Amino acid sequence: MPGYPPGPVHAAAHLKSRRYTQNHATAEPPSMLTHDALIRLCRARDRLRETEGRAPIADIAREAGLSPYHFIRQFAAVFGATPHQFRIDARIERAKHLLARGNHSVTDVCFEVGFESLGSFSDLFARRVGVPPSHYRRRWQVPSRVGTLPPALIPGCLLLMCGEAASAIFKKH
Amino acid sequence: MRIKLNSIFVDNQDKALRFYTEVLGFKKSKEIPVGEFRWLTVVSPDGHADVELSLEPNANPVAKTYQEELFRQGIPLTAFEVDDIHAEYERLKKHGVAFTMEPTDAGQVFVAIFADTCGNLIQLYQPKP
Repeated sequence: MPGYPPGPVHAAAHLKSRRYTQNHATAEPPSMLTHDALIRLCRARDRLRETEGRAPIADIAREAGLSPYHFIRQFAAVFGATPHQFRIDARIERAKHLLARGNHSVTDVCFEVGFESLGSFSDLFARRVGVPPSHYRRRWQVPSRVGTLPPALIPGCLLLMCGEAASAIFKKH
Repeated sequence: MRIKLNSIFVDNQDKALRFYTEVLGFKKSKEIPVGEFRWLTVVSPDGHADVELSLEPNANPVAKTYQEELFRQGIPLTAFEVDDIHAEYERLKKHGVAFTMEPTDAGQVFVAIFADTCGNLIQLYQPKP
């Protein structure tokens, strides 16, 4: 398991971090996270990925035991994006996944990932990904068997080190 | 046989490059486009110039599961050595980095753990003389 030295330190991390308590009175969120706080943020991240019945950010903050202000600050410090940005990114990622599988139309994908307007979905997708969803679908659409990943969804470095794309690159040179 | 490359999964390569260079202070080494992603590595100016860390996209669901479960359990994905862990802790805190463990005596080393904003916990360690 990663980490140095192995084993005991991880256990110590948990014991140690539980001793810290959050100070809600300060204006800045505490930079030290307890393990419980970490778990709550992970749960909030799962909630933000939900496509049905999307909860308002304020509700998710409340579930995490934080004010919306502290929740947004703490979430961004840990995950590198505000909850709102994270939710948008998660929907775009899911859209890419569905489009690359090729079994759904752009309109289906738009509604499936929780957008209400095809126009705003296409605009946002094009801005984030660089091509409109219809192009993305055409570019990556490959017949995929159950249990296999389309090439678009396999990390590039894995392809670079082994796999078909690597062979193609090596053949080219 | 040599160990010259280590890799970590990241949820976004652009964000990862920013954090690992602008906040942690590593330098970009290689950036080779591969399909939708890049073969992206950084090196440490304080360390061995030829030992690279690859910032791998976690697009494969298996990578995501691995990364998220370690994170949820509070386990760091990898560890970086520092000369002065207390100074690094203060420096990173000023950058808004969230720690799950402040510098702590762990016997042969001092250790601390922070979130790298890309879905990982990272351990810092300072060996004792």
